[in-house]
Amino acid sequence: MSTLEEPEVEPDGLDIDAVHERLGDRVLDTEEHINAPGIIIRADEVEETLTILRDEFDFDYLACVSAEELPDRYETIYHLKQFADPTRELSIVVPTDRDRPISQSAAHVYETANWHEREAYDLIGIEYDGHPNLKRILLPDSWTGHPLTDDYNQDKPQVVSYKAHENPLLEHTKEDDGETMLINIGPHHPATHGVLHLKATLDGESVVDVEPDIGYLHRCEEQMCEQGTYRHQIMPYPDRWDYASAGIINEWAYARAAEDLADIEVPEYAQILRTMGAELCRMAAHFLALGTFVLDVYGEFNALSMYAIRDREKVQKLLEDLTGQRIMFNYLRLGGVAWDIPEPREQFFDDTRQFINEDLPESMDEVHDLLTDNEIFQLRCVDIGVLPPKQAKQYAATGPVARASGIDMDLRRDDPYGYYPELDWEVVTDDGCDIFSRVMVRVREVEESAKIVDQCIDLLEEWPEDEREIQANVPRTLKPDPDTRVYRAVEGAKGELGIYIRADGTDTPGRFKIRSPAYCNLSTLPVMAEGDFVADLIASLGSIDIILGEVDR
Amino acid sequence: MLQAVLQTDTVLLPERLVDLLRLGEFGVVGEFIAGLIAAFLVANIMLIMTAIAGPWAKRKIRARFTDAIAVNRVGPAGLLIIIADAVRLMSKEIIVPEGVDRPAWELAPIVVALSALLGFAVIPMGSGIHVADPEVGVVFVFAVASLASIGLVMGGYASNNKFSMLGGLRAVAQNIAYEIPLVLVAASVVIFAGSLQMSEIVAAQQDTLISLGVVDIPMWFAIINPFAFVLFLAANMAEIGRNPFDTPEAPNEIVAGYQTEYSGIYFVLFYLGEFIHIFLGGAIIATLFLGGPAGPGPESLGFVWFLVKIWAVFLLTQWMRSAVPRVRIDQLIEIGWKGLLVLSFLNLILTALIVGVITV
Repeated sequence: MSTLEEPEVEPDGLDIDAVHERLGDRVLDTEEHINAPGIIIRADEVEETLTILRDEFDFDYLACVSAEELPDRYETIYHLKQFADPTRELSIVVPTDRDRPISQSAAHVYETANWHEREAYDLIGIEYDGHPNLKRILLPDSWTGHPLTDDYNQDKPQVVSYKAHENPLLEHTKEDDGETMLINIGPHHPATHGVLHLKATLDGESVVDVEPDIGYLHRCEEQMCEQGTYRHQIMPYPDRWDYASAGIINEWAYARAAEDLADIEVPEYAQILRTMGAELCRMAAHFLALGTFVLDVYGEFNALSMYAIRDREKVQKLLEDLTGQRIMFNYLRLGGVAWDIPEPREQFFDDTRQFINEDLPESMDEVHDLLTDNEIFQLRCVDIGVLPPKQAKQYAATGPVARASGIDMDLRRDDPYGYYPELDWEVVTDDGCDIFSRVMVRVREVEESAKIVDQCIDLLEEWPEDEREIQANVPRTLKPDPDTRVYRAVEGAKGELGIYIRADGTDTPGRFKIRSPAYCNLSTLPVMAEGDFVADLIASLGSIDIILGEVDR
Repeated sequence: MLQAVLQTDTVLLPERLVDLLRLGEFGVVGEFIAGLIAAFLVANIMLIMTAIAGPWAKRKIRARFTDAIAVNRVGPAGLLIIIADAVRLMSKEIIVPEGVDRPAWELAPIVVALSALLGFAVIPMGSGIHVADPEVGVVFVFAVASLASIGLVMGGYASNNKFSMLGGLRAVAQNIAYEIPLVLVAASVVIFAGSLQMSEIVAAQQDTLISLGVVDIPMWFAIINPFAFVLFLAANMAEIGRNPFDTPEAPNEIVAGYQTEYSGIYFVLFYLGEFIHIFLGGAIIATLFLGGPAGPGPESLGFVWFLVKIWAVFLLTQWMRSAVPRVRIDQLIEIGWKGLLVLSFLNLILTALIVGVITV
């Protein structure tokens, strides 16, 4: 039985000694994370250190900032990567004092640190010195305490006096200065795709300033995962992050991190099943993204959004056959998948081929006919909502949003996992940087995903019957060694979906942090929308393709 | 206006009613009562059509475009949904937000609905259904139809809501930009027909243009001047605020604009007004370009042909709605002022030249 070799995580090409030499005394100590070498630095040298790493060592991608509370200290970890090669990773660990958890902010080096540090402040309570806007992001402003700390009492009710909450929008309804008008788009608004609040300042019809206000759908996913056991109890949660059909990809993100942590090898056959399931999910998610985006630009009674939903339904049907569920698949297991292709296998292969080879090309023609060739659509989308590559990198945009800005990064190819390296497919990029490119990238990615699924189907069909191993041997209870840390990501439907886990020696994670792609992509909205019209703001928001369940977690 | 009515040789609906109900002996009072009855009849025709269009036909048409099924549970082919929806809509609570400008806020839906209904007074619907036929019929119908924008801006401004405000302002900007081309294109038809009177315009389209064997191509202005017809269709889309020009509502941007704060029967009035506006647009198109109630068969079938024509225009609006993206407000204004206005002037001048050459 051959097993797929996990690619080496050695930062090949990254000269860690040169980094040490350049940083000199700033390096207090080093540690080894499973995914990357870690460098411990002082809390007041964050900005300086990160600037050096960004400018001189090409670490232009701050993938994630995870903060946590340890028995004797608070810690912030900056997970650095390179857009050119995301396997070159470096973790910058910034410990802070328990009594005075103040750390220098990285928001001036990486724009994306702004939201990540706000979240760390909100949930852990580390204060970031020099942060431009350090206030709560997921929880309401009136919240007391930081829920992911040990001394936080979950049973104590959050008492908010009626007086304090009499008019929750009071601060947002301040007098307009005469020139501009502040409007609250959301939390209940047809175009926010969920409960999102955009504080938009308009000058006439054009957007002067827009600030996303998130957290309405915060469901303590990280905390729930920290309370679940690795082996079985965490896997159902990822389905609930990006719940718009991308469930299997989310599960894979957790599976990949946990399998690295516990050193589990996944059988090759299971990898193919995972790859196929993930790509079916990606297609369904992109169809939904297309459908809802079209709603924002066309209006609510248009044919194309219904066609997209119709096509998604076909994928959904296949996924239902495969996993037994429509949305909350719960299909992956650590070390494999829940079950094999349903019997009769030929039926499933035929249905999938029918969709890939006959239905899909037809509906793609329809999409191009109705959407991308439509002149009014082009009028609305070309050169609107521009996200320059430089800004995209600063805000750590990933997935179709980044690829539409010409950033050629796709973890399926650049940080290979699953069965992707063995298959023949291409990474779709576009240099337009505008809304139109983002739509086109998604449309073409659906076609690439179809190619992958097609190849997986062929492989699965020809696989010898006695080698169909869907599950590796995994101990009933997983207890990874204490203080091992891993940050692992997969290419989600929206971008890099990463999981950071610190094991604490028990059968539940000590810290479980989700790097949500939609969260980072949403933070680029001001760049896209400011200066455009309010209608473009809505179109830009639609083109980012956010799922609030993933943004707020 | 009454005098104008009496001067024409076509028999109008009130006159028929005077004869039918023997109201002649009451003099002017009798004519007035007959006029009221006629108006009541026409308004009810329009209300019935809206009732069919809004809750049922619109859903069914859209379902055909989008591979859906739409209403099919209540009654045969879902037709009883009309009654269910009417009861539902009328029994809803009227929520009056804080700080609205009450008189204007309550007047706005009535203005919108009434202005559209008023336009039908001068439309010849065939089979003798024609309430009034003033000499300035074309001017009258455009004048009352554009009263609706006052209703929209009233509703938008009085709602004390920023989305509504934006919607109201968009509505005004849009109507100004598109009414001028609309009237200019209509003027080219007037030049052809040589009259502003609706019955004259219809009469001018009765002749046969070319006879192709058994089929006679009538002298409809849509056939004589298709360019003007297309211009008028486009400007009409903007005038009635339908895709791709539904920016004043744009639910995904400004949450239905001027009607955000309306509920219950006020909301029904707004919706009614919009649908009647679509039908009025269809009626104007039918009268100016498609020969009004003209069609094969006996003259008494005129009303049927008229209905077919305005429902065809309604179908077109629903088709556009299913297939075309919404343009942005600045693009819309640009298309109006830089595109349609110039083209409609061109059309007017060309028409004037051609008509001048022919008559000389």
